[in-house]
This record gives sequence, structure tokens and C-alpha cells, in this order.
Amino acid sequence: MFTRPTMPTRVVAQIVASLLALPFLLPLIAIVAKSFDGEGFIKNYQAVITQTPLLQSTLNSAIISAGVIGLVYVCTMLAAYAFGKMNFTGKTLVFNSILVGLVLPTIALVVPLFLIVQQLGLFNNYFAVIVPLAATVIPFTLLLTRNYLAAIPDEVLEAARLDGCSSFGTLVRIVLPLAKPITAVIIVWAFLQAWNEFFLPLLFLQDQSMQTVTTIPLYFTSTYGSDQPKIFAALVLICLPIVIAYLCLQKFFEKGLSAGAVK
Amino acid sequence: MTSTLIRKTETPPPAKPSVRSRPHRGRGIGQRTVTPWLYVLPALILVVGVIYVGIGYTGWVSTQDWNGIDPAGTPVGFANFIAAVNDPVLWQSLGHVFIFGVLTIFIQMALGLFMAILLSGEAVWGRPAYKVIMFLPVVLAPAAVATAFRGMLAPDGQFNDLLHTFGSQGATPWLADPNLALYALAAINIWQWTGFSFLLYQAAISQIDQNLFEAAAIDGAGAMKVVRYILLPQLKGTHATLALVGCIGALKTFDIVYLTTGGGPGRSTEFLTTYIYKQVIEQYHAGYSAALSLILLAIALVFTTIQIRAYRFGED
Repeated sequence: MFTRPTMPTRVVAQIVASLLALPFLLPLIAIVAKSFDGEGFIKNYQAVITQTPLLQSTLNSAIISAGVIGLVYVCTMLAAYAFGKMNFTGKTLVFNSILVGLVLPTIALVVPLFLIVQQLGLFNNYFAVIVPLAATVIPFTLLLTRNYLAAIPDEVLEAARLDGCSSFGTLVRIVLPLAKPITAVIIVWAFLQAWNEFFLPLLFLQDQSMQTVTTIPLYFTSTYGSDQPKIFAALVLICLPIVIAYLCLQKFFEKGLSAGAVK
Repeated sequence: MTSTLIRKTETPPPAKPSVRSRPHRGRGIGQRTVTPWLYVLPALILVVGVIYVGIGYTGWVSTQDWNGIDPAGTPVGFANFIAAVNDPVLWQSLGHVFIFGVLTIFIQMALGLFMAILLSGEAVWGRPAYKVIMFLPVVLAPAAVATAFRGMLAPDGQFNDLLHTFGSQGATPWLADPNLALYALAAINIWQWTGFSFLLYQAAISQIDQNLFEAAAIDGAGAMKVVRYILLPQLKGTHATLALVGCIGALKTFDIVYLTTGGGPGRSTEFLTTYIYKQVIEQYHAGYSAALSLILLAIALVFTTIQIRAYRFGED
């Protein structure tokens, strides 16, 4: 494994790896296989697409994801630029107080979020989910981006300033183009969090037309009851966008998920 | 650009140019004191507005006897916290979180590490495929995973079907048996999150200096010794990260519990998160729920502090 493997090692390693991977692979196969059961592939998927709010919920999830990505991107880039490249009093304190959000379980905020949304009359409004979600995603993206921007040599920004760039001009013309790799990680991370979020939509988007892909299984379990194949067809469709996104952008998903851990 | 350069060379060289220019360069961009704050402001407003106002509000509500519907509650001081400490359900749910956390963290780390080691060299053919299989569950929505496993672990589900092919005749209700449900939940979590441990270990192993392994091989160290004396110590940071992320993750776990067992049967899989949710949404005990939320928050912060200290210690 660490040096050049011999033939028997190869065979044993292959068998052991396959045995280990099997429990992870089988449920994936079982989920897809079950969705072909019952009335068959075409009828199951047709029923789920045409007779349920699945498409609407996909659209809702897409809107929420786009909102979260936009908000997170703008806030993260602006703040990371200041934290990474400027000096000001209270910088460390402010930065650390934002990082506290990394360990905060959203559920610990259920009471205030619920009461504030109730008072503002924001039930069944996308913003009731987008804003708290962005606030919980930003601490992580900010940590990543601050470290990334801090590594850009000061001379580059100095040169831009001497050429007459304002601080905002430097951000837009110099920093953002240099930050493309980390931008991809931010977008992928924000998308993953927003698309998979369950708790906030469960609380605030209870109207059927407002449900997201994560709360729609509740609708299916109550509507189809024991018609498992249709429930599983819906689950496959719910997971499809994120699976496709993952397979296409594998590198950025893996970077995003491991970036906080591997320095 | 040119003129600046010339002017710089023309001025008499200062005795210590670096000292002179450093404070100036530090303020290079954002020279006015207000500028940095303008950049920080949107993120700060959002995070403070949601998280800190949220925590503050939770603190205030936790001192009230309030159903969350009436205009105002009755101030009761610390009564909600005293009630919480005397509430057997709180201790039960903390016990469940503890068992769940210990099981999932250790098994996920062990499986992830083992798989990462197996796939680290060139011994296994088709490594990218194994990687996708391990990692795909991580990106799926926990809500979808939970719903799928609820079907698969039902008495007539695919898991029992699979056991039948091995000769079992049972129709075990994995998620509805109070003695099994918590372990079934742990299994679902392990299925979904082992890929994360695997990914982190794999990234860390790829950063280890290859010469260490070769030197060990030349010295005649077997694979077990290489793992024990070279690999595991080199992965200290990853162990610490996964343990911390796992603890916070166990405390945060909500989706898979709510969508499979709902905390039942009885209270046998009640987590602190599901209990908080039920108290405010189903029972209208906003004050009590707020007190439980602060307890959850305090536990999360204590765990983080302890582990960050331990991690720094381990780095030395």
C-alpha cells in the first residue's frame, strides 16, 4: 500500500476494499431498484412528475439555493477582503465572534427564528429560509476565503493602488479574478448546504406550493403511504441534481468539504 | 508606475526602509478607518442579526413562562433551567446523543481510515469508482437518505429481504423496536458520513512525505508497523478534526431522527434537537424550549473549546 505492492497484496486489498465498499453501494442500488418496482419505471416516474408538486419544490429549492449562494458570495468576499488584507482595530475580535457561528446548531435558534418570522409575517416567504441559512453558512466560507485572500502577495494590491485603483476597484479587478478557485468552493458549499437544508423549510415553508426538495418526502409519505416505489422514484429525482453536480464538479465538492479540515 | 519608481530611488535611502514602510503598507488599502468596516458590515449584520440577536432573544425567552403565542409571557427567572435539569427526558436524550456520537464517530473514523489506507497506494484497481461510492452518500440530502432508509429498514423492507437470502426468516422492525432504533439511526449516519472521514484521511495521507514510508520499508518495518508508528501519528490533526466535527454533528443531528423515528418509539431515540423542536412547535413551551436550546449551545461550545485546546496540545 505504501510501497510497490506484490500480486498477493493486490488481490487481498482489492477483495477487502470491495467488501468494505459493498455496504455503501448496496443501499444506493436498492434505492434506484425500488423506484423501478410496482407499476414500473415509466409509470412511477410519470406519476411523481405530473401528479405531485415535485417540480414546484425543485424550483423552490433552486430559488433558495440561488439566493443563499448570492448572499453568501457577496458577504464573504467583501468581509474576507477586509479581514485578509486590511488592518483595523478590533479585527481579531470581530472575526472570532463571527467564527462562533461554526459550531452553532441551527435548532438552538428555533425559538427566536420562529417568533421573529411570525411577527414579521414571513411564513411561506423565501427570505425566511435564505437569510438564516446564509448567516449559518458565512462563518465557514469566510474562514476559507480569508485564509485564501491573505495569501495573495501585498505587492500585487500595492501595485494596483499605485496605479490609482480604489480599494473596491482592487477587489473587483485584482482580487476576485485571483480568487476564482476559492469562489468555486464557496458556491459549491453554499449550494450543498442550501439544497440539503431540511429544518428551516420545515419550519417556515409549510404551504404545499412552497415546499422544498427536502420537505417534499413528507408529502410523498402522507400521499402514497405504502406505495414505496413512487416514494423512491421521488427520492431519486430529489437526489439527481446534487448527484449530477457532484459528479461534474467532484474536485470542488471534495475541496469544499475538506478545506476546513486540511490546512 | 515608472515615475514612482524613479522618485523612490531618488530619495535618500532611509536607514531602515522595511520598518518605515511596514505600517504604511499595512494600511495600504482602506486607508480611512471606516473603509474596512464598510466591507465587513454586510456579513457582520447578517451573522450578528441572526446568530447573536437569536442567542440573546433565546436567553430572554428562557426566563419566561411563555407559549410563544400570547403577546407576553410571565417572567420566571431560572425556573425553566431548574425544570430542565430535573427533566428525565433531557438526560435520556443526552444519553442517546452520547451513545450515538461515540458509535458514529469511532466507526466512521475507523472505516474511513481503513479505506483511505487501502486506496492510498496503487494496490487496488478502479480507485476512482471506490471513491465515488464512498463519497456519494455525503452529498445526498439527509432528509432523502432518512426517508429511503425508513423504507429499507421497515419490517417488509429491502434490508430484511437481504437477510432472508441468508436464511433469516425475521421481519425485524429496525426503526420501531425501542432496543434497536438508536443503533439503526447510528447505522444510517455511518452510511452517510463515513465518506467524509475517508475523504479527510485520504487528503491527509496524500500530504505525508513518501520518503517516510520508503525509509521504513528499507528498515524492514512491516505494513502494521508503518501504520502504527508512522501513519497514525502523522494523522493526529485529522483525528482531532473528525472528532470535533463528529461531536458537533451528533449534537446537531435532527433530520434523520425526525424523519425516521421522530424520537420514538416512546422516547427511545429522543435527541436534544428533536426534544427542543417538539417543545416549541408541538407543545408551545417556548420558554422551556429556549432553555433547552441554551443548554445545547453551551454543550457545543464546551466541546469545541476542550477539543481545540487538545488539538493545539497534540500539534506540539
